[in-house]
Amino acid sequence: MTATAASRHLASCRICYKLADANLHKCPRCKAALHLRKLDSIQRTLALLITSCLLYIPANLYPIMITDQLGTSEGSTILGGVIILIHHDAVPIALVIFLFSVLVPLGKLMTLFYLVWTVKRHSPVSPRQRTVMYQITEFIGKWSMVDVFVVAILVALVHLGGVLSIRPGVAALCFAGLVVITMIAAERFDPRLIWDEMEEKDRDS
Amino acid sequence: MTAEQAEITQGRKFSGIWIIPILALVLGIYMVVDNLMNEGPEIEISFATANGLEQGKTKIKYRDVDMGLVQEVRLNDKFDGVIATAKLDRQALSLLREDTRFWVVTARIGVDNISGLDTLLSGAYIQMAPGSGETGYHHFKALDRPPQTPADAPGLRLILRTDRASSVSAGDAVLYKGFKVGRVESMTFRPSDKLVHYEIFIDAPYHELVNGAVRFWDSSGISMSAGANGFKIETGSMETILFGGVSFGVPEGVKDGDSVAANTAFTLYSSYAEILENPFKYGTYYVVSFSQSVKGLSPGAPVEFRGIQIGQVERIMLKEGQAMNMTKGVKGSGAPIPILIYIEPGRMELPDTESSIKLLKQAVTRGIEGGMRASMEDGNILTGAKYISVDFFPDAKPASEGVFLEYATIPTIETQLAQIVQNVGSILDTINALPLADTVAEANTALGSLNKSLQSLETIMENQSTQQLPVQLDKTLQGLRDAISSLSPNSEAYQSLNSSLLSLNRTLGNLESFTRTLSEQPNAAVLPSKQTPDPIPEVSN
Repeated sequence: MTATAASRHLASCRICYKLADANLHKCPRCKAALHLRKLDSIQRTLALLITSCLLYIPANLYPIMITDQLGTSEGSTILGGVIILIHHDAVPIALVIFLFSVLVPLGKLMTLFYLVWTVKRHSPVSPRQRTVMYQITEFIGKWSMVDVFVVAILVALVHLGGVLSIRPGVAALCFAGLVVITMIAAERFDPRLIWDEMEEKDRDS
Repeated sequence: MTAEQAEITQGRKFSGIWIIPILALVLGIYMVVDNLMNEGPEIEISFATANGLEQGKTKIKYRDVDMGLVQEVRLNDKFDGVIATAKLDRQALSLLREDTRFWVVTARIGVDNISGLDTLLSGAYIQMAPGSGETGYHHFKALDRPPQTPADAPGLRLILRTDRASSVSAGDAVLYKGFKVGRVESMTFRPSDKLVHYEIFIDAPYHELVNGAVRFWDSSGISMSAGANGFKIETGSMETILFGGVSFGVPEGVKDGDSVAANTAFTLYSSYAEILENPFKYGTYYVVSFSQSVKGLSPGAPVEFRGIQIGQVERIMLKEGQAMNMTKGVKGSGAPIPILIYIEPGRMELPDTESSIKLLKQAVTRGIEGGMRASMEDGNILTGAKYISVDFFPDAKPASEGVFLEYATIPTIETQLAQIVQNVGSILDTINALPLADTVAEANTALGSLNKSLQSLETIMENQSTQQLPVQLDKTLQGLRDAISSLSPNSEAYQSLNSSLLSLNRTLGNLESFTRTLSEQPNAAVLPSKQTPDPIPEVSN
């Protein structure tokens, strides 16, 4: 195995990516704080993940969109909207919304939990596969905002006074928070930790 | 190396990032607690149908403020109605009282207004009208139709009863002197008492016009009458012509009564004329029994006190009288006939109230001790109509107030006329007892023989000689007339007869003087009469 930067106690500046001795504590080039790995990566990711989990509950229970139609206001939750779409035979759209608004955030949360959980433990899944999982999570995460965007556009466009108007519900805020915080959590996670474990194992052996 | 590694483990200390999930958790808990704290009551409202109700959509409103939402609509256990489960705001908790009313508001086109047009677009909603009873109720029965008046509206709710449904229906106006002061809220027919019950509401301040003496009458439509003065058309307002209405007022000559409580029952008369016939409300029943004929005494006949009408005959209680006689063992038809009379204190200028009846009863009791008696009098000799008269007969045999069934009785007296009639009756009886039949038979035989005589007379008359009699008689008369005409004053016979008669007259005069002389001197016929000297007139000194 080739030696890693970490094994040589070299840290990459997170701002300017300069490789410097971790003992310097400050980047010799940009004076930013220098860490071998992202600071408190696991803790912070975990904290943000828990926050996301908490937000996931109201995001699905409360109406995401409130439609005021001729005096009657009707709130619709994400799952309620999916069901309505299925009833209207719009199965593809229903699938898209279900995928990106329900499954993807959930899958992302679970994946990140799994990654955090397996950082310091043995995992049957190889580090490479876990890295791919992480990449997918990070890539797909931003698409979860589709729902929020839909609501935002509808709210902006459909405003016909008393006849028909759409307001964002509590869940829209929660959902947006969920997506953003999950993205930050994913960003906070240091994928190098996945490999650290393997290297330690290599070193031990 | 070990020192460096120790530095790395420093990062395991509690990170400030945990504030975020804690904050989220606290917020979440706050939301949950807030939700639970503001959790409103869940109520069940039963409806006849789910018309207009939509679960998750139909709102419950009070004063147009959203109070809750219908969560579920389902059939009840007996499948004869619908139960709507609704979640209300916490605020509504104190409005859920025993008599809180719910009803569905939909677009409604009424007699005088159109309401609920907003529901055409937004859909029906459930209106709530809190009552004033105790709180803590969660099961309600919705009204079939919106109440005409809010529960807390000031005014007076009354009940009108009538024996037949007139043109008055729910929603119609209640008028006082033609001015709308209230409305008819509902109309129901109760098979139990076979009466139509109207619930009416009179708005404040007009409810003060209602007192115990007021009468309600149907003022619907047009009343038309033709008389000597031409045609007369009476109507209420345009609304009452088209849709009907109820008027009320105190009949003329009637004093105002006591104030009335809510839900007091009144009688709804079919017209004002009916009230005028019967302007008093309070009255009491008495029974008077007569042994004489009650022919001509009909229900409605007046009961008078010294010529002033104080009531009327209600009916002749023949059935009750018979039943009474049966129980008492009185046999035959000799028992007196009880007559139910109705006396109204209002007719005696007493206030038309309950207390006046008491006053009247006392007066009657005292009056009977003082000789007050009821009698039957002839009102109209031509038609034979009779009336009951109440008056004082100080010489009457002492009597006291009795009881017949549940009615008090007034002792009766037979008046002189009735006694005369009775005497006449007995005379007629005597006449009846005479052997008239024999007399008539004899008279008949006499008439028969008379008939025979007449018949034989007729045969005589028909005889030829009898028929010629007049001709002969005529001839005879002709001869007689000729004879008489020959004796006319110009005729010779008459002249000679006349002179003969004159000489006869003279002769008779001489004969008269002779007879006088003869009577004075019977011998004068034989002897010469003694001459008396002529009297010489003398002058008196």
